[in-house]
Amino acid sequence: MTQALDTRWFDPARWNVLIGILFFAAFLAVNIIRARSGSNLYVRPIAGLEALDEAIGRATEMGRSVLYVPGLSDMTEVGTFAAITILYRLAQRVAEMGCDLDVPCYDPVVMTVLDGAVREAYSKAGRPDAFRPGSVHYVSAQQFAYVAAVNGYMLRERPAANIYMGSFYAESLLLAETGALTGAIQIAGTDKVTQLPFFVCACDYTLLGEELFAASAYLGKEPIQLATIIAQDWAKALAAAAVVLALALATAGHTGLTTWLKIG
Amino acid sequence: MIWVRKLLAIDRRIIFLLVAVGVTVPLLFPVNLPITVTPRVQAAYDAIEALPPGSKVLVSMDYEPDIMAELLPMSVAVLRHCFRKHLQVIAMTLYPAGTGLGERALREASKAEGAVRNRDFVWLGYKSGFQVVMIGIGENLRGMYPVDFYGTPLDSIPILRGVNSYRQMAMVINLSGSSATDYWIQFAQGRFHAPLVVGCTAVMATDYYPYLSSKQLLGLIGGMKGAAEYERLIDTFGDARRGMDAQSMVHLIIVLLVVVGNAALFISKRSGAGGAAGAGAGGAGTGEPGPGGAAR
Amino acid sequence: MRRGPLLVTFLTGIAVAALFFIPNYKAQAVNSKLLEWTLVVYAFALILGSVSLWNSHARKVKNRSPGWGFSLVTLVSLLVITTLGIWKGVEEKSPVGQIYNTVNSPLASTMFALLAFVIASAAFRAFRARSLEATLLLATAVVMMIGRVSIGEVISHHLPGITEWLLDVPNLAAKRAIAIGVGLGAVSTALKIILGIEQSYLGKS
Repeated sequence: MTQALDTRWFDPARWNVLIGILFFAAFLAVNIIRARSGSNLYVRPIAGLEALDEAIGRATEMGRSVLYVPGLSDMTEVGTFAAITILYRLAQRVAEMGCDLDVPCYDPVVMTVLDGAVREAYSKAGRPDAFRPGSVHYVSAQQFAYVAAVNGYMLRERPAANIYMGSFYAESLLLAETGALTGAIQIAGTDKVTQLPFFVCACDYTLLGEELFAASAYLGKEPIQLATIIAQDWAKALAAAAVVLALALATAGHTGLTTWLKIG
Repeated sequence: MIWVRKLLAIDRRIIFLLVAVGVTVPLLFPVNLPITVTPRVQAAYDAIEALPPGSKVLVSMDYEPDIMAELLPMSVAVLRHCFRKHLQVIAMTLYPAGTGLGERALREASKAEGAVRNRDFVWLGYKSGFQVVMIGIGENLRGMYPVDFYGTPLDSIPILRGVNSYRQMAMVINLSGSSATDYWIQFAQGRFHAPLVVGCTAVMATDYYPYLSSKQLLGLIGGMKGAAEYERLIDTFGDARRGMDAQSMVHLIIVLLVVVGNAALFISKRSGAGGAAGAGAGGAGTGEPGPGGAAR
Repeated sequence: MRRGPLLVTFLTGIAVAALFFIPNYKAQAVNSKLLEWTLVVYAFALILGSVSLWNSHARKVKNRSPGWGFSLVTLVSLLVITTLGIWKGVEEKSPVGQIYNTVNSPLASTMFALLAFVIASAAFRAFRARSLEATLLLATAVVMMIGRVSIGEVISHHLPGITEWLLDVPNLAAKRAIAIGVGLGAVSTALKIILGIEQSYLGKS
């Protein structure tokens, strides 16, 4: 019944992952150095993020709130971190423009982190007094109970802008379609590929996959943050080159690279 | 062209009503439309079919009542196949509300195939924590589950004699509507190299196609359609095959709605009413095209 | 002030990333223990959630905000379920178990079932042939919707094959491309957090 205990201190099947991460870290370091030396780092415009200001402005003009839904995952999902960083930037604009913000949360830990980030954002915008305690609040850790509560809020309060950022599952269309019914401007972004078509159908703007992770850097415009996006693009170019090379070699009958690229 | 504008901005409650009729009528008056078996479901069936009688199979039914329409018939079909092949099933769930559903699937399948608890299957019930449980089973099943769902010590259950990790199991079958599947792939297959078959909701299915290509999954059963295909393969007529008529009808209604909507848009454009009608039908209130542009 | 949390994030991030490469049973025991700690932390975090839920709805009831009646129902439900759970337990046959199975589960199933209706409504609004790309999307959607169900087989026996090809080739190619981007974005975000470049989760830019 007892199994042989694994006493190895490194799994050789994972060399490929380690090398990939080291490459990424190197790209990051090079681009941070470039950013610090004052190089001009260009990042293409992302329509969904450009529209955030318009959405907040519209809410302010109409005297209605901005609803921010930070996804239905916990702190173990990177998508949740993206949702937190975007909210931090968004809350600063909301505070500057002086409209109301409502953030219903699915996870209590995420709620605590978001509450701190929003308070800090209001302070940074010079409007700590404008922060409304309870604007970041817990709803339910049950998927459809959460949907019922948020949909009810949309139908009763009619927020002028609904922003969905983070990791979403089957609730994506239920939320976005209700938002469309209320006539709100809707901007979504998710790393869950399966849910992207639903958001594209029901929202005005959708951030596709990696754009969600680039959003925080894009909104902040700090050079070091922008450097991370450039590093990401370099890594993507490397991944594409590896795929093309592996494909060419496999076609020529050499499957060594294809095998090596598999994660063990 | 008032009627065209009205059609483009049709009250969604009318659409809801059409869908309700489309679901209800075929369930009341079934037509029994034919089912074609797709390669992915066939692969799942073949993988289970190839196991020798007496092999131990871990079946994790990780779903709650919200998606039982898709996954309960799938569970029953897969379990019936296992029992028919005289495979010994170790069943469990990672969701608290999945206990009732897992028990129900086992009850229905065992009754249909004459399987007996503790001789042909064991029900471990619910345990919280995805990764913890999956790693725990890989290291020491009895450490994770000292007793089964009914309080019987695992050591006194005949089919579990000599079974204490994935190594003694011929296959893991995960039936799930959540990210639990990702963890099964990552831990049971990736870390412990257990052969894995997955059944999931239709919307999730395409996420796992790459794992089939890379042979990390032996087969994939997607949604009610996949369950209906499986029922056909094991030659039974369950809830999935009954549900396929309703699903066909609803798809047909949606296609007809899309065709009618586009015809109305075409007419409105020719009569110069496109802008107003388009904005009205846009629904989101801005009247602007989204970046997904095409989709709006 | 924030050096402490940043250091904890850095050390934990590096340690957990390293554990991915170390199969040694002792290291993996540490990994399992860390995962168990996560569960414990989350159990305690639920208290925070409950307090937030209570405060948020109590405020609405106190101020007689629009819809305060719903808030009252939430508060009463929270109290009743918590009391019953502590008093009678949460097993299948307990009152909480019964309420979960007979009230909560059917409500959750109903919410999920609404998807069928909203998908129809969203498809009607979204699938409009306004451009070449939109027309291609529309045509593909129609073929998929018909070809993926039994009626497709009745209409043409080629349809299921066409849908399989659409799923296996163009769909998978696009999904893989997006997935690679998402994966790299996730790695980038994780590195930014571990290295302290991104600190807004601590309330700092």
